[in-house]
Amino acid sequence: MKISFNINGTPQEVDADGNTPLLWVIRDVLDLKGTKFGCGKAACGACTVHVNGEAVRSCSYAAKFAEGKNITTIEGLATGDGLHPVQQAWMEEIVPQCGYCQPGFMMATAALLEKVPNPTDQDIDDNIVNICRCATYYRMRKAIHRAAEIKNANT
Amino acid sequence: MSEPKPKKKFSRRKFIVRSSVGVGVLLGGIYFSRPAWRRSIASMANSAEPFYMGGTDKPLLWFEIRADNQVLLHSPKVEMGQGTFTGLAQIAADELEVDFSQIKVVHAATATGNIDGLSTGGSTSISSLWQPLRELAATMREMLKHEAARIMGAEASALSVKEGVVSGNGRALTYGEIVKEVKEWEIPETPPLKDIKSYKFVGKPLPRVDLHDKVIGAPIFGMDATMPDMLYGAVVRPAYIGARYVSADTSQAEKMPGVVQVVKEADFVGVVARSIVEAENAKNAIQVTWDVEKEWQSEEIEEMIKVGKGEPFVIQKEGGAKRILDNEEDVATAEFKSPIGAHAQLEPNGAVAFVEEGKATVMISTQVVKITRKEVAARLGLDEEKVNIIPTYLGGGFGRRLHTPNAIQAAVLSKAVGKPVKCFFNRQEEFQNDTFRPPTHHVLRAKLGSDGLIRAIEHQVSSGDVMFGSPLFPGIAEPILGADAGAWRGGMIQYGKIPNYRAVSWRVKLPFATSWWRSLGLLANTFAIESFMDELAIKAGKDPVQFRLDQIQDDEAGHRLKEVIKAAAAKAGWKDGAHNGRAMGFAASTDANTPCAQVAEVSIEDGQIRVHKVTCAIDPGLAVNPDQVRAQCEGAIIMGLSASMYEKMTVRDGQLTPTLYGPYRMALMKDVPREIDVVILENAEAPGAVGEPPLGPIGAAVANAVFRLTGQRLREMPLELA
Amino acid sequence: MKKNYLFYTLFLLTAGMALAYASSELQEGDAMAQPPGGEEPEDALQAFDKMMAVLTHKRCVNCHPAGDRPRQGEDSHYHNFGVRRGEDNHGLPALRCETCHQQENNNFSGVPGAPEWSLAPLSMQWEGLSRVEIARSMLDPARNGGRTLEETVRHLTEHELVLWAWEPGVDASGTPREKPPVPKDEYIKAVKAWAEAGAPIPEE
Repeated sequence: MKISFNINGTPQEVDADGNTPLLWVIRDVLDLKGTKFGCGKAACGACTVHVNGEAVRSCSYAAKFAEGKNITTIEGLATGDGLHPVQQAWMEEIVPQCGYCQPGFMMATAALLEKVPNPTDQDIDDNIVNICRCATYYRMRKAIHRAAEIKNANT
Repeated sequence: MSEPKPKKKFSRRKFIVRSSVGVGVLLGGIYFSRPAWRRSIASMANSAEPFYMGGTDKPLLWFEIRADNQVLLHSPKVEMGQGTFTGLAQIAADELEVDFSQIKVVHAATATGNIDGLSTGGSTSISSLWQPLRELAATMREMLKHEAARIMGAEASALSVKEGVVSGNGRALTYGEIVKEVKEWEIPETPPLKDIKSYKFVGKPLPRVDLHDKVIGAPIFGMDATMPDMLYGAVVRPAYIGARYVSADTSQAEKMPGVVQVVKEADFVGVVARSIVEAENAKNAIQVTWDVEKEWQSEEIEEMIKVGKGEPFVIQKEGGAKRILDNEEDVATAEFKSPIGAHAQLEPNGAVAFVEEGKATVMISTQVVKITRKEVAARLGLDEEKVNIIPTYLGGGFGRRLHTPNAIQAAVLSKAVGKPVKCFFNRQEEFQNDTFRPPTHHVLRAKLGSDGLIRAIEHQVSSGDVMFGSPLFPGIAEPILGADAGAWRGGMIQYGKIPNYRAVSWRVKLPFATSWWRSLGLLANTFAIESFMDELAIKAGKDPVQFRLDQIQDDEAGHRLKEVIKAAAAKAGWKDGAHNGRAMGFAASTDANTPCAQVAEVSIEDGQIRVHKVTCAIDPGLAVNPDQVRAQCEGAIIMGLSASMYEKMTVRDGQLTPTLYGPYRMALMKDVPREIDVVILENAEAPGAVGEPPLGPIGAAVANAVFRLTGQRLREMPLELA
Repeated sequence: MKKNYLFYTLFLLTAGMALAYASSELQEGDAMAQPPGGEEPEDALQAFDKMMAVLTHKRCVNCHPAGDRPRQGEDSHYHNFGVRRGEDNHGLPALRCETCHQQENNNFSGVPGAPEWSLAPLSMQWEGLSRVEIARSMLDPARNGGRTLEETVRHLTEHELVLWAWEPGVDASGTPREKPPVPKDEYIKAVKAWAEAGAPIPEE
């Protein structure tokens, strides 16, 4: 079936089986490889994208549901020239190690900051439940707080 | 030219001599031998296009200098998060006299670069390349200077170099400009290295070279790799322990949408399709007959792994520990256990391969680039030179990619369809076919002397294989080594003032694959020994920190261990006993010559162990990048906490389970200590191991704190309160 | 597949053979004993038994938990990853139910889905209650979201999220989830019969 949506601000139409997980449409049809496959079971969060501003695990999201929606991936997280505040904070705190899970974490964090501009440690514990095997959580927490600062200073 | 100092380990110990050679070579970080890189310089000089640096796709080694004065460093080691690329860039920049920002590090491919012959692992990447890379970079700098002098018509000694620009005689040439003018290079004697104190980049907490790529989601991992006209493969993988492939009914799969070809081999069956989803669907429609001899259960594995069941090998012996412990009264004894652990790295295993007209190209996340090439070549019947392995960034290594035979499957599928094929594991297959951290069982005995110090101690560890059976390690070496040095890593007694000590490693062959898991036996062995040390300190009525300090020998290793113990205790504000619902626990270990001590501050919340703060003191020698040393400590501590407190694979009705994140409980953000305080000591001149040593003490540190809070001595990982 | 299922069900219903069909789906024995036919009005308390056999099943109770933590799976363990109710019963700000659960089951991931996937409000907690207590809470406007009996019946018999229990899909390893012990149409009939009889709740 034909499915139309906006991805990172650009209209797209793809021809795919409507039940194909959105993840594979993003990665293999649109060749945006920043959204990762970790488990395919919505358990690790490596495939997190935004659908109409909400954090969604794209491995468990049938492509047909994307019809007419606005999708943002890590490649489109930054608008304008610079990096998104979350990416800036991730740079400042030197968060990534292997880096594979990081786009999912950054997308989840960006969604959190839209809803909770000044997250507490408890908010972070409750909302950010992705998995990082390098265990960069300690710096992520700092980076999330820092991202909130940057974002709030910008607005 | 200074010789790299041979690393001495276990001084004063009567270490079993025949094992020290192999282990020293393999784990000591010096296997990247001087002749190897010497040869590479020599081959540059001798080949038709020696040391080509023109910035094209011609063969080159180590450094590629581009017209814009950027230097590509072709790394013989892979980047899996450990920060090696960054450290190498710092080391090279200092001797090459370029700015840090001018260096870009890329993976060397087997066809075009110098690949480490063995692997990336064992916390050796920086330490093994420290000397050769500095010498190579210094040599390169002198070569550039020499050519600049020729071009300028000046004496090389009259020229100065700064940020990749050679100046003198009123002229200035960038490295990029120089290489354009060079037809043949002269390779000089290795120049003297700079004084380490004069280095501008080594020793600085510079940001990772891959930071920006990793923050924007650049397509850098094996699973992101693509080739033109690529198809997608899927292979049916066994779900049962010991399952042997017999036959497959593929009639249904052949009719599935998107299927290009079903491929039946003697040892596996797979399918190639137009998309991952179609390949997975078709794979699921294949009916495979497996031969499963036996349906294993966890209870059987636990019985097998008990000390006394396998083959023993004495790995350490001083005095008459066994005689004392067998015959005297009031001997303290304790048993400890650790479970099967999964790697659970986020990027599954897989490869993109293209086999065409007598040659093959494979893009893959692997820690063993050359072994992978050898295996692919053997399977395809090609010469190794006809197989190019292009390593990508790894979405986690942790030892999981120290054998990557999945490259063979991608290659075989590609050969069958004549097009590039991407073929990966799914998550369930990844858990079922992991090469697990083996379960262990430990028996400890000790006798205190009248001075309250240990008079005799014995550690016996029984474990599945780690190093043995690995393709990294030829089976022929097993009788030479005797014991599996991976299994007993961290299993020796590090308190050299104890007059009588003994360590025994029991080898058990398990029915499923066990192998390298970050820090190998260190995690479990330290948990057992350092928990027991805590018990002994309490029995002796002594402070556990002082109890340790009093029994460490006075040589260099002992000095470094004492220093980290003192530093950790001081930084944490060490206090024995429970205070206001919290308690500290202490533990220390030495791994690959790097001592590390940790203090965990713990409380009990809703019946669960809560770790609030971990203080870590580590002495890795020279810290090339202190921020990355810190990052490795933070990660290792949390990964170690995760393994010690939550993780466990079980065997049920022949299957390893669970097979998904969540049910395989790992540390999440909420479980992570709010404070991790890392103190870096640098009591050695050269860089040492960093990636694994800080995994050692954490399990025991937490368990020791829990005892002070609850009186419960937790002797089994994952730690669970009664 | 789904289409066929519906068609088959409709066919059987019109043929007045709903129970005969349904019994082929049964996993537990109690309702099997019912004779085919079902034309006569059911005894209200028998209807109550059937209805409550469904409503006390984990497919229902997992999302009617006693606190803020949903449960999941055949063993009703707490939902992985510390998932929480949130202010609107749809999860936390950046960990919404819809982060993973969509309008329908996802057969690739094994993540269940249905329209309005969410927790029942805290007032409708069933976990730990007896079937009589559950029934009382269903009839209590203070605890049932202010529903009349008619509205309650509609929720129980028409709400897609409730009826998901009979199409629960597969789990992460591809194993079909257990369905409630009474077939859907028999359950619907029982709810209606019970309501028509004045929604009697037995003393227990």
